[in-house]
Amino acid sequence: MVRISLANIFEQYPDRHYIMFGGKGGLGKTTFSAATAYYLAKKGKRVLVFSVDPQASLSDIFKKDIFGKGPTEIMPNLYAQEIDADRRVKEYQEEIRKKILEMYGMEKIPEEIESYIQAAAAEPAMEESAIFDEVVDIVVKGGYDYYIYDLVPLGHALYYLSMASVYDEWIDKITSLRQQMREYDQVAAVIRRDKELDEDAILNELLYIKDRINKSSNILTDKQKTAFFFVVTAEEMIINDTLKAGELFAKFDVPLSGYIVNRVLPASLKEQNIPEYLRNRLTMQEHYLKVIDEVFKGQILAFVSEMERDITGLTMIEKIAKNMFGDF
Amino acid sequence: MADDKKKGGFFQAVKEFVYGVAAHDSARFAMKTRASMEHLFILITMGDMLGVPILPPYYSLRLLPYVVPQISTWKRRMLREKDLTDALA
Repeated sequence: MVRISLANIFEQYPDRHYIMFGGKGGLGKTTFSAATAYYLAKKGKRVLVFSVDPQASLSDIFKKDIFGKGPTEIMPNLYAQEIDADRRVKEYQEEIRKKILEMYGMEKIPEEIESYIQAAAAEPAMEESAIFDEVVDIVVKGGYDYYIYDLVPLGHALYYLSMASVYDEWIDKITSLRQQMREYDQVAAVIRRDKELDEDAILNELLYIKDRINKSSNILTDKQKTAFFFVVTAEEMIINDTLKAGELFAKFDVPLSGYIVNRVLPASLKEQNIPEYLRNRLTMQEHYLKVIDEVFKGQILAFVSEMERDITGLTMIEKIAKNMFGDF
Repeated sequence: MADDKKKGGFFQAVKEFVYGVAAHDSARFAMKTRASMEHLFILITMGDMLGVPILPPYYSLRLLPYVVPQISTWKRRMLREKDLTDALA
């Protein structure tokens, strides 16, 4: 059977600049993100791999502390970034306070307003929203050939996606209410023959927020520019969950490019003198690899072996990349 | 010159009289509707101040500076209890 390879996908669709790996926690999303970034950088592309996970692990895999330091060069053409959501929220709060003080010439923020600012920042959704917002900044700024999203585990990723569409709808509703209010303003102004009507600053803010949200959800669902890969392993629960997630992602119009099977034990082990325990694992794996072949028919792009040690540092990343893309 | 001014004053007065008779009420109505919409708007965007979270807080913070002056009257209006004096107002 001829398989489409992962390398082929990248050659066939050079316009897919936004690369994402999804899957349950601990299956190798970060590893594959790093390895793909490595491969593309070696091919001479300028690549930024960044984490949207508050518990990011890019620092660990590249063995370099990049947390909150902006895009950091790992090797020529390869940049990595971990977003410090906490700091971004704090800066954002400060920005709001400054704006209030300036707008009203106040010396101090009124207590009621200050407690609201603090309470809002304590909301669990705040961290995600802050990261979401920074990702828009990263993408809008440009400057790279490829953007690789090191995504959060499945449940969170779905939340992230649904957040975009819920936000979008809400903002639409609020914006139209605001526009209606504007019409009443205009009516009153005409009747009273007021010549000028002040610009509605709130309406402008709403339109700005709408634009930001649209930018990021457009990327997530753009079939021309985005490639989304799922990571699976040869285990029953993982296969089932991935199938379900695949359906949900399809509902949000996320363009699925294919599946990558990780942590495959080398079949050659079977010929060696190995303990019963390992032999059982191999038999189980054989079975579930067949299941994977059936349920994800024609969409499997690579099988990646379980390595002899954990994946940190560029040497191991290169090894994984060669496993994914073949020799390059 | 003085004549012009007098004439202008007269027309101005007529204009204001006509406005008062014909349009003042509709203008007032438009403004009143507009004011309740303002309260609705703040409820939607700043609802979590009353414990009704509606807009994600990250974005409601962006709007906060613009509604600072309305916040206290809005909270009063939303939270006040209804009693007899309401009917008189």
